[in-house]
Amino acid sequence: MGKRITVPFGSQHVALPEPVRFVFQTENERIVDVEVDVGYVHRGIEKACATKFKYMQVGYVVARVCGLCSISHTLGYVTAVERLISIEVPRRALYLRLLVSELDRIHSHLLAMGHTAEVAGYENLFMQTFRHRELVMEMLELLTGNRVQFDFACIGGVNRDLTPEVEKVLREKLKILEEKAQWLKDVYENDFSLNLRWKGIGVVTEEMAKEMNVVGPPARASGLKTDVRAEFDYLPFKEVGYRMVVLKGGSIYERNLVRALEILNSIEMCWNILDGLPEGEVKAPVKGLPEGEMFVRIEAPRGELFYYIRGSKKLILDRVRIRVPTFANIPVMKELFIGMDYADVPATVISFDPCLSCTAR
Amino acid sequence: MVVEEVKVPLRDVRRAIKEFYNPEEWHFITVNGVDLGGKVELKWFFTKYGEREHFKVVTAEASYNDEVPTITYLIPSAWISEWELADLFGLNVEGAKKGLFLDPESPQAPLRRG
Repeated sequence: MGKRITVPFGSQHVALPEPVRFVFQTENERIVDVEVDVGYVHRGIEKACATKFKYMQVGYVVARVCGLCSISHTLGYVTAVERLISIEVPRRALYLRLLVSELDRIHSHLLAMGHTAEVAGYENLFMQTFRHRELVMEMLELLTGNRVQFDFACIGGVNRDLTPEVEKVLREKLKILEEKAQWLKDVYENDFSLNLRWKGIGVVTEEMAKEMNVVGPPARASGLKTDVRAEFDYLPFKEVGYRMVVLKGGSIYERNLVRALEILNSIEMCWNILDGLPEGEVKAPVKGLPEGEMFVRIEAPRGELFYYIRGSKKLILDRVRIRVPTFANIPVMKELFIGMDYADVPATVISFDPCLSCTAR
Repeated sequence: MVVEEVKVPLRDVRRAIKEFYNPEEWHFITVNGVDLGGKVELKWFFTKYGEREHFKVVTAEASYNDEVPTITYLIPSAWISEWELADLFGLNVEGAKKGLFLDPESPQAPLRRG
């Protein structure tokens, strides 16, 4: 048995896009214990939503919980309010929400895949992945007016309609993206070096995924059939060709491959949305004040996002609770590290696509 | 949406969850607190794999001084939700450490009202 060494990983580390801190106890290279600290960026957003902001404004506040998945946060909140005060959202608005939601998933997945390539030392693939991600950022800017943290959805519908000019450019960019995404999927699936580096590393088994309540792509990469898009009716996924991607294996390799395959499915859904976009209004009038409680689940790019709201017929809600996917996946990450070689930690952490800005909202 | 809500005294929470929870069948989402002034309403949320909008909710109330029982014996991943309750509501949750989400210098129990 080697001498026990304490190795801090984060809060600032070249492999970490956001501040989380793991403190590993290792014996030689092998990790024997770990502690985690996620509280570096706590912003008190839940408190602010139940004290400072009126319920009509909260959707814009929660869009700032996360730079990457702001549409998921807005959707979680507005869907809960719409169900609580019985607002029927126009079908065109639902389709437009779905379009932005899936484009958001594509760029978030590409970001996660790119970072995983980067920590594997594959700088070129990292840059290629981010280069193609830029196409999605441009599409989101055209659609919503902003690259990130866009205020697209609102209570009752969406804030912007899709014009024929924007649709034309979207179709052109989507065509290029489809080709590039297929190429990326082939590289992430078949590259010899990446296969050697990632297959069998950081394995979450299906049993472990169930026991630790893992969510999102890490759960589906372990063979666990769970995706909120199939389990909660917040958008018409069934009408636009959604398919659940589930793989066996549970390692870094499968987590990235699930993302690559989901990107292709999301692109297919985007085509179907543009081809079958219903005519009509994009916003329904909002009347009444929230009374009672409601909770909803959303499939954010990183996994299940849960929103709980409670109101008592006042402009300011009594409670807004946000449970984000990274929060749900931290316990399994902690379990996974025990027995792992320290050298595999950066890639394993990044393959979960952790978002601390969400976790410590 | 199907919601089966079970209201139990705080001391019976673990027993109530043990009665139905099977990780093959149920997915634990989180435990949520709502401050009611002097006490906190706690809800443990579960959803059923493979079914649309099927939830089970276990509800209990805890006064500020009560010890909230941990469910990590049944659901190991629940520790993070319990530690968050300890930080944000200042509750005494069995086995929970404070400081995971908040700095020692930051306002304590920020989600308590008044």
